[in-house]
Amino acid sequence: MSNDSDVKFRLNNSELWGGLIGLALGGFVIWSGLKLKLGTINDPGAGYVMFYTGILMCVFAAAIIIAALSEGGPTFGSRWQNTRWTKPVIVIVCLAAFAFALNPLGFLLSSIPLMVLLLRLVDPVRWQLTIPIALLVPLGMWWILKRLLLIQLPSGIFEIG
Amino acid sequence: MDTLINVAHGFGVALQPINLIYCFIGVFIGTLVGVLPGIGPISAMSLLLPITLSGTPESGIIMMAGIYYGSMYGGSTTSILVNIPGEAASVVTCIDGHQMAKQGRAGPALGIAAFGSFIAGTFALIALMLVAPKLASVAIAFGPAEYFSLMVLGVVVLTFLTQGSMAKALLMACTGVVLGLIGLDSITAQPRLTFGRIELIDGIGLVPVVMGLFGVAEVLLNTEQIIKRDIINTKITHLLPSRADWKASAGPMSRGTIMGFLLGILPGGGAVISSFASYALEKRLSKTPERFGNGAIEGVGGPEAANNAAAGGAFIPLMTLGIPPNVVMALLLGAFVIHGLQPGPLMITQNPGLFWGIVASMYIGNLMLLVLNLPLIGMWVQLLKLPYNILFPLIILFTIIGVYCSSNNVFDVYVMIAFGIIGYFMRKLGYEPAPLVLAFVLGPMLENNLRKSLILSQGDLMTFVERPISAACLLVAVVLLVGPLLPALRKKRELVALDEEA
Repeated sequence: MSNDSDVKFRLNNSELWGGLIGLALGGFVIWSGLKLKLGTINDPGAGYVMFYTGILMCVFAAAIIIAALSEGGPTFGSRWQNTRWTKPVIVIVCLAAFAFALNPLGFLLSSIPLMVLLLRLVDPVRWQLTIPIALLVPLGMWWILKRLLLIQLPSGIFEIG
Repeated sequence: MDTLINVAHGFGVALQPINLIYCFIGVFIGTLVGVLPGIGPISAMSLLLPITLSGTPESGIIMMAGIYYGSMYGGSTTSILVNIPGEAASVVTCIDGHQMAKQGRAGPALGIAAFGSFIAGTFALIALMLVAPKLASVAIAFGPAEYFSLMVLGVVVLTFLTQGSMAKALLMACTGVVLGLIGLDSITAQPRLTFGRIELIDGIGLVPVVMGLFGVAEVLLNTEQIIKRDIINTKITHLLPSRADWKASAGPMSRGTIMGFLLGILPGGGAVISSFASYALEKRLSKTPERFGNGAIEGVGGPEAANNAAAGGAFIPLMTLGIPPNVVMALLLGAFVIHGLQPGPLMITQNPGLFWGIVASMYIGNLMLLVLNLPLIGMWVQLLKLPYNILFPLIILFTIIGVYCSSNNVFDVYVMIAFGIIGYFMRKLGYEPAPLVLAFVLGPMLENNLRKSLILSQGDLMTFVERPISAACLLVAVVLLVGPLLPALRKKRELVALDEEA
């Protein structure tokens, strides 16, 4: 690993941040365990296992942080080096938009645009293929689920689907 | 004699037309997802989990099992012809299989992979028939302490075998346990980590978590790379291996079968580890190790036999103890639970039709796979030409529909998308999702058994070490946890550590 990608004390050491997130999660789990009820060793309460699991999480996270500080680790930039990082971002944005649209618009009105966007924005597929795939696949799935398997997909405020 | 009667009973169940159809659908989809890179058996099984509700428990579980062992067959086709593993257990097959294909020997490579898989699959089934009832009768004596220790061992073995830092894998396992505890406490009915959301009262569903961490995250990772496919375009001939090929492969296939079966039984073990172990063993035993990597047929036959035998062996802990040894079996456990069934020591006696029906269907499924993977190889080759930019939006749509259908709840779609994004960042930062998922499934059982043991023993922790099986499991777990601190064992771990995502 190059010096640029293997850093010890820099703030963009990804290993360090991974460990810190783990530590924060562990702390939250300990707090949640305490808030529930620990009980006693004879009669463990609802928070008993959670509390001790939180402690273990903190221990493992601390081990990751110590390793990151003593041995260094790759930077965030190096993790995404030589990759087309914008592509997963596009997919994530499309999925987030779909999640927001699914309930108000319903399955058909949200999945058809999702398919168009995914087919066109990542590695563009020809429009002659995009349109039939984006229309026929959601429609086909909707028909199979609604008519054959009698599963009701969300129909949204327009009651389409 | 009893076994034969039971097998006959099993065939009676498996040969019912509806079960034959489900078996065929299972092995067909299994081969399909094995062939297609970027979608593995876990995603396919999660997707089809809701469909199992429409039939009898036998039909649903026969189909799910078919997807698993079918994907083991299909994965080798992509490895040999495209040099991309269709699923994780076929990574090793790429090394020599694709070299053979480049040398014009794709036919024998595919043939030996299919026959090796068939022979190993059949052996694993016979062993499953003989071992499972015996182990089930022993497992009846297991108490909560044994179950707890066995589950701890399963999670520790998987973290030991996961690629990269063990601290990261253990952190993931703990996170999985906590996620599994979300919802109502099974003893006090107290809501835990529900944040006032009614959807979380029953906990987070397995399907959205798995589909997010494996299906969506895998798509996100694949989109950031340009997937180049080096497909062998020549006509595939001589699928039946020659006598020399058989002679060279017989030993590796036999050793791979036995090793794969034993590794498959171990909690945390599975098809991926066994294929790597078989390859390493054959290379070490070979008089001409330099041939490995340059198209040695032993490098195809051994690992392919090993991963199929492991797939069969993995059913033993699930069927006899009710403990899933890997993520795929955890999904199968989900299918059992959906039908109100609890696999474990009593299942074989209380539900013989189900157990023996599944075993018999696997024989039939193996035969179906031989037909699907040899005479119909051309069909799968055509499928490999489907570009990924068309395939991935379809995978995403199917995952969304699969998750929605598993609960009829839009909230689960949000959960899947969230776990997809989390899974992507986890993988980018070197955190493997497999320990998280296994611990997520085992978490509630683990907690339940721990609390029961403590209540029964009146808080005496010695209960875990006074019972021999429990003590043995914990001892192995401790050795594996402390082991990586020793340089010799750390080196061994690095040799066998792998991505257990499928």
